[in-house]
Amino acid sequence: MGLIKKIFFFFKRELNLFYSNIADLFSNILFFFLSIFIFVFALGADEQFLKNIGVGIIWSLLLLSSTLSLRKFYEDDFNNGVIKIIHMSGISYELIVFLKIMSHFFFVQIPFLISIPIACIFFNLPINEVYNLILTFIIGSLILSCLGSISASMNLLNKTNFSIGSLIVLLFFIPVIIFSIGINNSEASFSSLINLLLGIALIFLGISPWSSASFIKLAIRNK
Amino acid sequence: MFKFLVNPNKFNKFADIILKPLVIITLLTLIAGLLLVYLSPLDYQQGLTVKIMYIHVPSAWLALLTYAIMTIYSIIGLAFKIPFSFIINKAIAPIGAVFTILCLFSGSMWGKPMWGTWWVWDARLTSVAILFILYLLIIFLNHTFENREVREKTIAIFILIGSINLPIIKFSVDWWNTLHQPASISKLSSPSIDISMLQPLLVMTVAFSLVGLIIAILRIKAEILMRKNYL
Repeated sequence: MGLIKKIFFFFKRELNLFYSNIADLFSNILFFFLSIFIFVFALGADEQFLKNIGVGIIWSLLLLSSTLSLRKFYEDDFNNGVIKIIHMSGISYELIVFLKIMSHFFFVQIPFLISIPIACIFFNLPINEVYNLILTFIIGSLILSCLGSISASMNLLNKTNFSIGSLIVLLFFIPVIIFSIGINNSEASFSSLINLLLGIALIFLGISPWSSASFIKLAIRNK
Repeated sequence: MFKFLVNPNKFNKFADIILKPLVIITLLTLIAGLLLVYLSPLDYQQGLTVKIMYIHVPSAWLALLTYAIMTIYSIIGLAFKIPFSFIINKAIAPIGAVFTILCLFSGSMWGKPMWGTWWVWDARLTSVAILFILYLLIIFLNHTFENREVREKTIAIFILIGSINLPIIKFSVDWWNTLHQPASISKLSSPSIDISMLQPLLVMTVAFSLVGLIIAILRIKAEILMRKNYL
């Protein structure tokens, strides 16, 4: 069986898993909207004020709601041995991690995009900020998938302290938040910030397969 | 010659020889440094508060240096499979955390009279605060996993990923417009600090690093004994 065919079957399996776990995605989106409501109730419904802080709130809540489901990233596949079986069929762990990141990006983060325009309506954001938000979210969610892969593979053998995985994601996501919010700033140049974001995405696409694969190898050896 | 840097037994022997003279030298340097700080001139703008610099700058340098040492030892440990480097990683992480919190605290004490605020969201300050969080996460990770091999390698890879922060801290004052001043002392150009203030600063830096070294040696020795089930 050729490599392309194996990758095709991998994505087919991920798609089936996505359909069977679709309630998980909807509960994440629901968490996102509920926390927006809670923010509005806590801060008061002043329109101008909400317009100023809207992008920041949406970005932080997007980040928090995506860290909710990160524990599931490798755990099921690791516990029922699917990762080992895929590796036996001749795909290296690094490629498995890369494919997993891609499938997480396409099946979990991209569907999340539908919630962003609706959330922007609640804050009365101007249309160019909505465009910027969607553009930065597409790049930022790729970085988020890479970080999620690193922290989830790190936590495979962690039986006691699960919150440390979310801490790592939040910590390394700080520069992405800075540059994504800075894009709405009129002084900063648009293309340079987009280039910076793409550069960060490239760095994490480079290091996350290597580091996650070494964590997974370590976990499989010591299971 | 430098086998004691990677071999626990050689390190123990070397540490036994060096520890007593090191303590004496450290005491002398510390007393000399404090005397020099006491005798050093006041700044014409800042007055007495400039003397916070003699604590703030050495602890900031040592916080960075400790993380750099941990990064180098993580590379050595992962590449050449030398377990002694993981012992060092575990032993010196709290020392780096203490230096970082010392740097942040003294900077805060200095910032209140000079800038008029305890804390600003400035690039240098924020990146050093992130360094402190990194140190805390490393200490947490030391208490997380049951399996020792998993724990050590996880921490080493985490240190490697976190070392992205080091150049950000170093160049943050050049890349962004910050309230924090750029470095006064650099290798490439002559220092923009007066010689009467440079002398106590350098002596204090040596004294701080010797104190850190003594604590590191004691912690590494204790860790080696713990691995050998003596403690």
